[in-house]
Amino acid sequence: MRFPILHALICLLPAATEAMAEPQVQRQPVTVIAQMIESAELGDELLLPAGVYEGNLVIRRSIILNGRAGVVFDGLGDGTVIEVLADDVTVRNCTIRASGENVTGEPSAIRVIAAKATIESNTIEDALFGIDLRQAPDSVIRGNHITCKDMEPGRRGDGIRLWWSHGGTIEDNVVIGSRDMVFWYSEDLHIVGNTVRDSRYGLHFMYSHGSVLEANDLLSNSVGVYLMYSNGITLRGNRMRNNRGASGYGIGLKDCDDITIVGNALLANRVGVYVDNSPSSIDSTGLFEGNMIAFNEIGLLATPNTHDNVFTGNAFIENEEPAATHGRGRLVSNSFAQEGVGNYWSDYAGFDLDADGIGDVAYEPKSLFGEMLAREPNLRLFVHGPAQQAIEFTSRALPELRPEPTLVDPAPLAVPPKIELALGESGRGGGRMGMLAAGFMSAAVALILVMSTQPGLRAVREGDRS
Amino acid sequence: MSAMTTTPRTVTVRTSAAGFVGGIWHFARREFRDAIASKWFILYTIAFTVLAVGVSFLSLSGVGSHGFAGFGRTAAGLLNLIMLVVPLMALTAGAGSIAGERERGTLLYLLAQPVSRTQLLLGKYLGLAAALVCSLCIGFGVSAVVLAWRADGVGTGSFAMLMSFTAMLALSMLSLGMLISVISRRTGVATGVGLFTWLTLVFVSDLGLMASSIIFKLRVQEIFGLAALNPLQSFKMAVIVNMNASLDVLGPVGAYASQTLGGALPWLLASSLLAWTLAPLGLAMLLFGRRSSV
Amino acid sequence: MIRATEITRRFGRVEAVSALSFELEAGGSVALWGSNGAGKTTLIRCLLGVIRHRGQASIGGVDVRRHGRQARALVGYVPQELAFHDDSRLGNAMMFFARLRRVSRHRAAESLDAVGLTGHERKRVRDLSGGMKQRLALAVALLSNPPLIILDEPTSNLDAGGRGEVVATLRRLRADGKTLLFASHRPDEVIALADRVLVMEQGRLIRDTTPAELWPTEKPVQVIRLYLTLASEAEAADALREAGHAVHLNGDGLCVAVPRDRKAEPITALARRQIEVRDVEVLEDVQIPEVKQ
Repeated sequence: MRFPILHALICLLPAATEAMAEPQVQRQPVTVIAQMIESAELGDELLLPAGVYEGNLVIRRSIILNGRAGVVFDGLGDGTVIEVLADDVTVRNCTIRASGENVTGEPSAIRVIAAKATIESNTIEDALFGIDLRQAPDSVIRGNHITCKDMEPGRRGDGIRLWWSHGGTIEDNVVIGSRDMVFWYSEDLHIVGNTVRDSRYGLHFMYSHGSVLEANDLLSNSVGVYLMYSNGITLRGNRMRNNRGASGYGIGLKDCDDITIVGNALLANRVGVYVDNSPSSIDSTGLFEGNMIAFNEIGLLATPNTHDNVFTGNAFIENEEPAATHGRGRLVSNSFAQEGVGNYWSDYAGFDLDADGIGDVAYEPKSLFGEMLAREPNLRLFVHGPAQQAIEFTSRALPELRPEPTLVDPAPLAVPPKIELALGESGRGGGRMGMLAAGFMSAAVALILVMSTQPGLRAVREGDRS
Repeated sequence: MSAMTTTPRTVTVRTSAAGFVGGIWHFARREFRDAIASKWFILYTIAFTVLAVGVSFLSLSGVGSHGFAGFGRTAAGLLNLIMLVVPLMALTAGAGSIAGERERGTLLYLLAQPVSRTQLLLGKYLGLAAALVCSLCIGFGVSAVVLAWRADGVGTGSFAMLMSFTAMLALSMLSLGMLISVISRRTGVATGVGLFTWLTLVFVSDLGLMASSIIFKLRVQEIFGLAALNPLQSFKMAVIVNMNASLDVLGPVGAYASQTLGGALPWLLASSLLAWTLAPLGLAMLLFGRRSSV
Repeated sequence: MIRATEITRRFGRVEAVSALSFELEAGGSVALWGSNGAGKTTLIRCLLGVIRHRGQASIGGVDVRRHGRQARALVGYVPQELAFHDDSRLGNAMMFFARLRRVSRHRAAESLDAVGLTGHERKRVRDLSGGMKQRLALAVALLSNPPLIILDEPTSNLDAGGRGEVVATLRRLRADGKTLLFASHRPDEVIALADRVLVMEQGRLIRDTTPAELWPTEKPVQVIRLYLTLASEAEAADALREAGHAVHLNGDGLCVAVPRDRKAEPITALARRQIEVRDVEVLEDVQIPEVKQ
């Protein structure tokens, strides 16, 4: 029985290789598609034939383009590849690449200047701007994978940009190596499950109010989420990791009112949360609740005039400095507890004798080195060193050197609050670390064996006798 | 007795390089054996291992349940620990080496053998270096076990590089210790000078540089240059560059260094450590060759 | 075998060895004689090339300063007391030196056998008796079968039994044609081992003589040790030298070599000067064994 199967396989082999080599791509001008659109009914779904279509396409009719057969729009490095000028257009499952790169005219992979567009499951490569919505309300951008032109960061365009486009849904997109995913003058947006990495600002809001940002992943950007002059925004369950530009933040707030930041994870950023004059209006507040703020150089950094924010139920874990003021001053005009619930601070040295989960003494961080850093930023060179410890030790031993506390949390939590982060990725590298451990151990054993075994005289003599 | 005298001239005068290296090797092996059997070695190894494991464990267990650990305060604690313990270990080991032989009177006897002072010094250096590396391997190895068990921690590569840089730090401090040992007449003095050097490198120079950067308003490049002269700072920066690919963690000075030096930075820092290894060792060889006390 | 020319070594202002020259032919045996601080040990260290000095010294024609390693390969050195890492075991210590001197394990075992230490390999150096330590040192010195043995008061820390063993071994080595250079405080050893005596005082060579001249041996010589008050020792030594006795200060009393039948003479001489002698000890007889020449 074996031989016939083998025989069949051998016969099939040439056919298989032929099939694999087959992608004999058909290159043709994009006018082919333009003609198909012209001849279609409004609202039709066009299943485009596989191929590479070169040139710039302008869509002026409400139509659905589906490229699932393997469709590539290639702008040949000039201008905007697809421009949508009609309402209710959908572009789906296409690959769109090679926009122009000269910033004049802001060439994009897809630009929409019409309402209710749906841009879905496309792959965008080598674009200056990825998806650019200008006055395109109620549009949906979902599941696109966007990589920008490989240029120095200062010359890149935005991965996704919305301009005066209210009520949009931005979901499950991945943006890599762009400038920002940026929102100008756009309200009531739902921004969910997007990933932005290796870019400048992950999510950037300018004068855009009343939106919800949920479960986005912002990794290794200069700043994770930067809200500027934007009010009434809710951030929930987002993850900002490793955002550490020269002025890098996990979340940055500039003159924003009524911001709600709940259940986010801010990990290993230069600064976890940066608050600059927010809230700025009278009678507005900011709420930070149940966030995990861990491993940042500075957990919370705020300008000295910052006031009326409420921090409750957050976990400040192992930040180099839990909280600091930007410049000299203190953060005491903010509340670090609400209804008797403060925050967890991993450097809290108090105790909880009555076991009610709330520390019995207030948390009042007094770091002499932190105070020195606020005055002399250059001294940050000396963090992670024994000299820093020596300074802190000295200030603890000599109360007259002790600075005023930066903040007061009257009800610090005794144990870290449970915060669901859904970070995944656990267990990676365990095996390799195990190998490394084995490597180190065997190096030690090998050293001992090579360096210290020696045949004794005794053995030799006995050998001689026998 | 007769076997000894049947051939009256078995000795030939040889100047081969193999003989030179062989002598170093025998001293190195003896030094290594003595070191790993000695109390200080066992004590330091245990202390270092326990502390390193503790720090690794803590740095993971804080948010270990979330499967994430960054270069946070406790991971920095490992760095802090290394910067305290490893120089102390290497400096005292080095300081005791030659001075100890001299005080016990064994130095004369060793030198009366057909070996040169350079061979003796290099052999002792290599033996102690091997013992220190062995000790570090054990410490890092056990903490790697903990990290592997708790899974996803610091990257394997970073951890291996941390070990390498720590070994380089140990070697440079050892050669400084040997220099101290060569110029000190007594073990007590050598140990004292070694401790003083440790204190200077670990605390005094940093504090002094902090003070002068405030008083004299030093510019970032000046602060960086002065700091990089301290092998401990070089070590710290090298480790952080390696973990973060940038020194921005260290504020404006670090950012300046990262921007102006870029890819050359880790090499520059590594060569500072290397210079701190070779220069004191070379000087020690020179002085030891010239010194006449035994 | 040894050629030393104008060897000078200063410690600060003091010249420990000053412009000292001598030669020693192969197969010869020379003793360095002199009180503590006369410069014997310093001279030996200069000859071994382990301390810097002015002047020239060569061993077997090899300059000790320029080619110290090669020169020392021709020398077996035995210190006053073996100083070796106390924790190491005898066998391991032997192997270490065998490797340094590039001789085989077999040879190391042979060498230990020759000094009668076989069977003690597992003992730690610190647990060895003084005599065993010196025998170990001898074994190390003989490892590579060097033509020259240099010994720095090899018996001064030994009891009578230990001394006897060492002296016997050295006499055998002489008979086998080794060249010996040794410092000693004991006339009996010098007489037994040396055919030449270099008398040193304050770093200078003041007499190049023979044991027979130093200690006339028509009558058997005996050494007595006089215990005096510390202050009077120098004065007493001068007085005795004037009276024609061979005297040396040994740190602990004054040793005088006297003919067997005139042991009281030094005491009488001192009494004449009103120097009080607290105690007298007659050291064991110098046995003048037959020396093969």
